[in-house]
This record gives sequence, C-alpha cells and structure tokens, in this order.
Amino acid sequence: MAGRLRLAVWIVAGSATLGAALGAAPSSSPWVDNLSPIAPTDWNADRAAHLLERAGFGGTPEDIARLAALTPQKAVDSLVDYERVDDSGARAFEESGVWDRGMDPFPPSRADAVRQAREHGEALGVKALPEGSPRRLQPVVDKFFYGLRANTIETQRLGVWWANRMLTTKRPLEEKLTLFWHGHFATGDAKVRDYRMMLRQNEMLRRNAEGALGALLVGILKDPAMLVYLDNGENVKAHPNENFGRELLELFTMGVGHYTERDVREAARAFTGWTNDVLDFRFDQAQHDFGEKTFLGKTGPLDGTDIIDRILAQEATGEFVAAKIYRYFVRDDISPALKTEFGRSFKAGGYQLKPLLKRIFLSKDFYSDASVATQIKSPVVLVISTYRKLGLRELPTIPDFGRLTGALGQTLFDPPNVAGWAGGRTWITPATLMQRGNLFRDVLFVDPKTFRAPDRLMPPTYARVGDNLAKGMNVTEATKEGTGDAESNAQVDRDEDYNTRYASYRGYLAAFERTKPIPRHVADVSLVSMVTAAHADTPEAVVDHFARRFLNVPLPAKNRAAFVAFFQGKSVTDESALRELLYLVLSAPEYQLS
Amino acid sequence: MFLSRTTAALTAQALQGTSFEKHPERILVVLELSGGNDGLNTVVPHADAAYYRARPRIGIPAKEVLKVSDTFGFHPSMVGFERLYKDGRMAVVHGCGYDHPSLSHFSSMSYWHTGVPNAGEPLGWLGRLADDHLDPHSRNQIVNIGTSQSLAVRSAKHSPLVFDDPSRFRREGTDAEKRVLGQFGADASAGGANATLDFLTTTARNAADSSDFVRQASSVYRTPVDYGIGGAFGGGLQRVAALISAGMKTRLYYVTYQGNAFDTHVQQGDVHARLLMYTADAVRAFLDDIARLGRGNDVAVMMFTEFGRRVEENGSLGTDHGTAGPMFLFSTHDRIKGGFYGRPPSLTDLDDGNLKMTTDFRSVYATAIKEWLGYDDTDVVLKGRFDALGAFA
Repeated sequence: MAGRLRLAVWIVAGSATLGAALGAAPSSSPWVDNLSPIAPTDWNADRAAHLLERAGFGGTPEDIARLAALTPQKAVDSLVDYERVDDSGARAFEESGVWDRGMDPFPPSRADAVRQAREHGEALGVKALPEGSPRRLQPVVDKFFYGLRANTIETQRLGVWWANRMLTTKRPLEEKLTLFWHGHFATGDAKVRDYRMMLRQNEMLRRNAEGALGALLVGILKDPAMLVYLDNGENVKAHPNENFGRELLELFTMGVGHYTERDVREAARAFTGWTNDVLDFRFDQAQHDFGEKTFLGKTGPLDGTDIIDRILAQEATGEFVAAKIYRYFVRDDISPALKTEFGRSFKAGGYQLKPLLKRIFLSKDFYSDASVATQIKSPVVLVISTYRKLGLRELPTIPDFGRLTGALGQTLFDPPNVAGWAGGRTWITPATLMQRGNLFRDVLFVDPKTFRAPDRLMPPTYARVGDNLAKGMNVTEATKEGTGDAESNAQVDRDEDYNTRYASYRGYLAAFERTKPIPRHVADVSLVSMVTAAHADTPEAVVDHFARRFLNVPLPAKNRAAFVAFFQGKSVTDESALRELLYLVLSAPEYQLS
Repeated sequence: MFLSRTTAALTAQALQGTSFEKHPERILVVLELSGGNDGLNTVVPHADAAYYRARPRIGIPAKEVLKVSDTFGFHPSMVGFERLYKDGRMAVVHGCGYDHPSLSHFSSMSYWHTGVPNAGEPLGWLGRLADDHLDPHSRNQIVNIGTSQSLAVRSAKHSPLVFDDPSRFRREGTDAEKRVLGQFGADASAGGANATLDFLTTTARNAADSSDFVRQASSVYRTPVDYGIGGAFGGGLQRVAALISAGMKTRLYYVTYQGNAFDTHVQQGDVHARLLMYTADAVRAFLDDIARLGRGNDVAVMMFTEFGRRVEENGSLGTDHGTAGPMFLFSTHDRIKGGFYGRPPSLTDLDDGNLKMTTDFRSVYATAIKEWLGYDDTDVVLKGRFDALGAFA
C-alpha cells in the first residue's frame, strides 16, 4: 500500500529524477524525502504535536488533543486555511503619537540635522535660538535625539505587541509565516528609524503571508521600510544604487549563481525612481531610467515590475524560495530531489504558498525521524512556545520579552542584517545555550520589585548627566566623560553650538514622557493547578508530565533520575518547588529541540 | 617570566605529543569589519588626482588627511591609527582581494572566512589552522567574541568558545539546581541518532567547562586605558584583553564589528568617520592595554573587511560594493616591521569600475600563520601557495 502511494506521488510529480533519487536514498527511514501524505492510521498525538510545533508555536496537551482527534488532512487544513478562523479578537497596535509635525523626513544623522539648522535656522520643526545665544542649536539637537529615542521605544512596544499576538492568536501559522517573511525580507528599525514604517511592513507581510510570492514581492519592493533599508530612495537615474537590485536577486528570490553582475546593475536601473514619501510609495518619473535594459536575457525598456516578472519566470526562484520555506518548517538540509520538486510545483502553481505548505505538512517526510525534533528553536519561538505550553493567555512583560530574545540573538524588527537570522545551529553558542535556560529562571522566579523596564532605562552615561546637573554642575561639567585618549570621547565632549551628550540626555527624558509605558506583569501561571489537573502526585509523575508537556524527545534516563531525585521529598502543592523543577527541565539541552 | 612560560608550554607539548611549536606563547587576534569598509577613504591616496576625480563630493580633502607618506594617509578621524603607524606598530597592505571577486556581502565574507574563494569550503581558515596545529584536547584554543559563531573559526576538531556578555555566561539557580544543571552534557558524545542533540550536549559541556573562568577573568579585569565610545567593538577587544590578562591559553581570538556596519551606500561621510574613529580608538587602546599587561610582544592583530568599495562615489554621497581594500597588521615596534606593503592598485586601470587587487588576501593570512605563529606549512591550511610578506621581524 505504501509503495503504491509513493508511486502515485511520482506520477503526479511527473519527475523521473525525484523517483530515482527517492528509490536510491540510502536512508534509514523510508519516510525521509517521501512526499506521499501521511495516512490517517499513522496519525497520533505525537505527530499532531509536531505539526503544531512547526506550523505554529506548539501548545498545551488540550490543543494537541484537538488536532490529534482530526484526520491529518483536516488537522493541516485547520492550520493552513486560517482565513476561516475568526481573529476579530486580535488587538491593533496602539501608537503613542510621538511623531510631531516637522519631523518628516527625519534627518539621516545628528550632523545632518545640525547642517539643516545652520542653513535654514530650523530643522525637525524646531527653531534654532537667535545668533549669539549660547548653544543656539541645542533645541534642534534635543529634538533629533528625542526622535531617535522615542522611535526606539515605540519599536520596543511594537515588538511586545507582535509577541503577544504570536502568543494569543487563533491563527498561529499566520504569525509563524509573518515571522518567516520578516526574516526573509529582513528590515531593521536600527537603520529605518521609523516604527510607523516597520508596523506597515509587518501588516503588509501578514496580509500577504500565505498568498502568492509575486504579490509579496511587489508589496516589499514598494514598501517604505524596505526602500529606506536598502537605500532605494537614493537609487537615481544618474547614479544607480545597486543595493536594492542585488539583495532582491541574491537574498529574496534566486540566490547567488543564477545571475550576473550586469543583471544586478540592470535591475538597479529598472528600480530607479522607486522611492517613498515618508509612509507612501512614490514613483519618481524624473529619477527613473526609461532606457533600454537587458535583464536575464530579456531586452526592453524594463521597469521594476518587469524585473519581478522576469525573476518569477526563472526556475531558480521557485527552488530558492521553496527550499528556504522547507528549511524553516522542516529541517536544515533539503535533498536535491525535493528542492527540484518543490521548486517546480511552487512555480507551476503560480507561486501560491498554500498548496506548498499543505504538501509539506502532510508529507511523510515532514514526520520522518530526520525532521522531528531536529530543529533548534529560534529565540522568539523558544519563548513564545514555552508560554503557550504553560497555557498563558497574555504575554508576560516581566521579564521584558525583547530583552529575553535579544540576549539570545533575535530582536523583532531588528534582524542583524539584510540576510535575516542565519538560524539553525548558529543560534547556539556555549553562552547562549546557558542563557536559554537562565531566562526561564527569570520568568519563573521574577522579582517585580527589582525589575527595571528597558523602555524607561537611561544608559549610565546619560543618567550621570542628570545626576551631575542635580548636584548643581553646569552643562559643560555635567557632560564630561572619558580620559581624553580616545578621539571619540573628545569629539562627543565638544561643547560649542550644542552639547551632544546633554541633548541625548534630554532626548531620553522627553521620550519617556511621551511614549506609553509597556504594561508590566509577570507570568500568570500555577504549576500546582497544572500538575493537579494532570493527576501527577509523585515525583516520577510530575517529572514525566513536565517532560511530556515540554520536551519533543524522550527524557534521557539519567536526566530523569536526576530530576526525580531533585524533587524527592518535595510536595506537588509546593509551587516554588515545582517551578525549580520546571526550570531544570527547560534548561536541558533537549529542550532546545523543536 | 618569558622563559618559564615558554618552557612550560614546551613541556606541555612534549607531554601531549603535539608538533614542535616555535612560538607557543604567541596570540593572533583577527578583527572583522563587516559590511565592506571603504578602503579608499580609510587609507587615502591624497596625492592621486584620479581619487579626487572619482570622488568629487565624498573624497577626503588632502589637507585633512592624516598623512603618513607622500602618497598615503589616514582618514582624519583615525587619530589612533596615525599614532600606531608613526610608532612603527602597524603594517598596511595595499589592494587585498582575490580573483573573480564577489560583490555580495555574504559570498565575499564567506570566502574571507574560509580562505577559499569561489568554493564551498565548509570550515573556516582559523578552524583549519587550529585543526592542523593546536591540540584539540586542550580547551578554548579559539575564542570568538560575539552572539553567534563566525564561519572563520568553524573547525573539525575544536569547539570554539563563543560568548558575548561574560557576566551572563553562567547558570543561574540554587546550589541544588546547579548540581543537576552541571550534569548536562557530562556524557556528551557524537554519533547518536539525533545529530542536533549531539551538537547541543557537546556545547553544553563546553559551556560548563569554560564559563567560570571567563566570567571571573572579566569581572576582575580593570583597565585605565580609554577604549572610546564605540560600544560593542571596543568592548569585545576589552574582553580579549581580560582573558589574556587572566592567562587564558587561547591562541586565536576573533572579534567582529557587527551588523554590516561598514555598508555605506548613502551619505557616508559622517557615519564612516564615526565607524573609523571607533575602530582606530579601540585597536589603539587594545594594543596599549596589552603592552600594559606586559604581553605586547606576544600579540599580533590582523584586520580585514569582505571587500572595498567602488572607486567612483554613487549619487547618494555613498559608495557601492567594490573589490580590493587594505588590510592591517599590528604588533609592537619590536615584532612588526611597520610600513606599507604591496602595490597600491591603480585608480584608473579598473575592472568595470572596481580596483584590480594587487595582493591576494591569503598572502596576509600566510604572513600571520608563518611569520607570526611560526607554522611553515601555510599551503596546507590555505589550500594553495601564498608567499608571506616579510612583515614580522
């Protein structure tokens, strides 16, 4: 029966190479690289848990039981066809309203704001003081730093908002995909410096997360955050800027090796004049190069959309994007046969995401030993999935979510560079592996009294300025730092038309004043209730419950024995003891596996 | 002091049966500037009219350049480099690159990391160097300061110690909890059914073995030297100084200026000046700090970036991805022969607007491997023959 099913798949796939490769695979498991759908008779709670783990952020035993009770087809549909799931409960992001008139377009640097103010007597909607006044440009520089700090805080708030959505959504795959695209079309607020653009991009990615790749590409190439991130506002006819064209080909669609340097330059020309008026896309005719171009073998007066069409006509595009989706949802390595097959069918189906995802999630390959519990959770997935497995209904904000994941190398809205997060084993170093355990101690044994909210935290250098001023020092004295050897300290200590360190201090104060605070609360969790409901009343039963609920691989006997010994003599009604035990389980190397 | 350290190291070698080491006390610190540093605005050819023709708006005016020769000088913000150069503690190698250069950050960086351009080499050049010459049973031969491991240090036999914030490099918890946590990875071994789990347990053991030492070393370390305000990069170098100060046996250190920071496509003037200032401050401070610790003669620093930038400025007061760029070597006046090496690339005889490289970057790697660390078989590590430059005394 299994053989016939596989044969049927080969015929549907229409790919002799795929069949040959599968037949020849020296795999220990016949399910590896097998794209035939898993049979209802093979469906069980472990496999449902794996599906929920990968197509979402995992869940409680009750969530898993609900999926396990369906057929595999219905379980997959319930996750993939998420547009049928009511999400009217999803909260919109509440902006603080920090952006004042005159702040657009925001100057690229403090030096630039100063130049504007020197030339025009004002910048950022703020006037310089009259000629001859001491520190006459101070108000402008204050405003510049206010803008930077306020934006950073709004972006932190945005991260908390998104994380809470990942935790509470009834459409987990929607958020998991949005996170995928955020990493794929990586854009960072550290460069964009405008949370409004980051929010709009996030909404655009979510809207198109499961549609067709073409729509996503058009969306991202007209997206203000991306246009700023890759400098396309500066891509003009007389001097094309290649950043945008290069990353489009290399990272977003085809990968290195399928185009030439000339293609990069011609693509850059085609995207000249694609720019933004702050929050809106704008086509600047005067800066667009309407001339003839040759891109991937096609010649004509090509513009940006022609370039996208041409890219979508390449086999390399289907394979590159499908393989990346596979790596995100299934495992690090994709076999050449599967890459060819997924690439072919993805392209043939008009680059629709849904059929690709359903095929992946239903395949035996997805449930094979090579796939199950072989991925390393990203920091965001690690934290969110733990909260889901704990059954939390609201994101804990003590400790701070952004700080937790940031310490592990992942900050929402701030990927390390345009290639996004490298993922996989690169998440793990000796230090981050320890930190991955520690953070749950912070969650389970948090002391709200010692918590300091990062959205209200001034770095020590600037806090010292405030302390010094309070002691009665003047601004020049209050802002001195450094021993004088380093040129950079000497530069910042300069105190002429304005004082940079003072401006930075004042910028923080104003930003704290005008941004909404992130509501702070600890995890609402009762492990006593959890183990009571599970009827776990011995150390062994408690350890086994935690292992089953939280780990995706069996607990090694040695660790189990150590955990049981640790809990020996403690009571299942002792919340603190249960938390200590859970901390140990969540610190095990096995817990990093998804 | 020096003799006894050498003797101890030699004895250790004899006991371990590893090959003879000429310079067992020597340390190499490799610094990466990510994003493609604009070499022409770093080491400025201030006497070349072609430079000012190509960069009418962003070229560094000759009168502002910190001149160290009739033809070259440093960006005005690099006061630290000017001093190092004038003190004879710095070598600058012109026009470093490789044949068939990639203009992609990620491809080009991976070629510099592996030392094997245009090929899919899985291990880093420092990783292979350690595999060939350093005892894999002696822990922490390679330290990589950062939140993730660089391909440059990926090794077949060694498990590089990677960390960012030493104060958080510890297990939290009560003594009873720590006793259980300390067992994770204790029986780590490769060859299990789940390769990812093997990797995790091995890493857990490495973490348990090293974290106390690193944390202690960093927490007791104090320096009067001013590293500047560059943040993470200077901080990373301070961590290296702390480990050297504490007597860590590490031979290879790797520190990255992270976040593609040097990718200056737009309005590069101010931001590039700031980056170079932070860089020069941090490197100068690190060398001073190491000298203060009495280890100056045992430490050399090499600095690189994945490519230079296009000769001609772009329309946005910035520069696009290019090819060759300068590399830098540092040590003490006694150890390094300061000055310029290699031939400066022509600014008019270009390859599609880009510099033609004049020194294969692996010659500089070979210089570090052979002349500094004292391993003669550079062709094995570098998978090809590259002549050393004669930069170390």
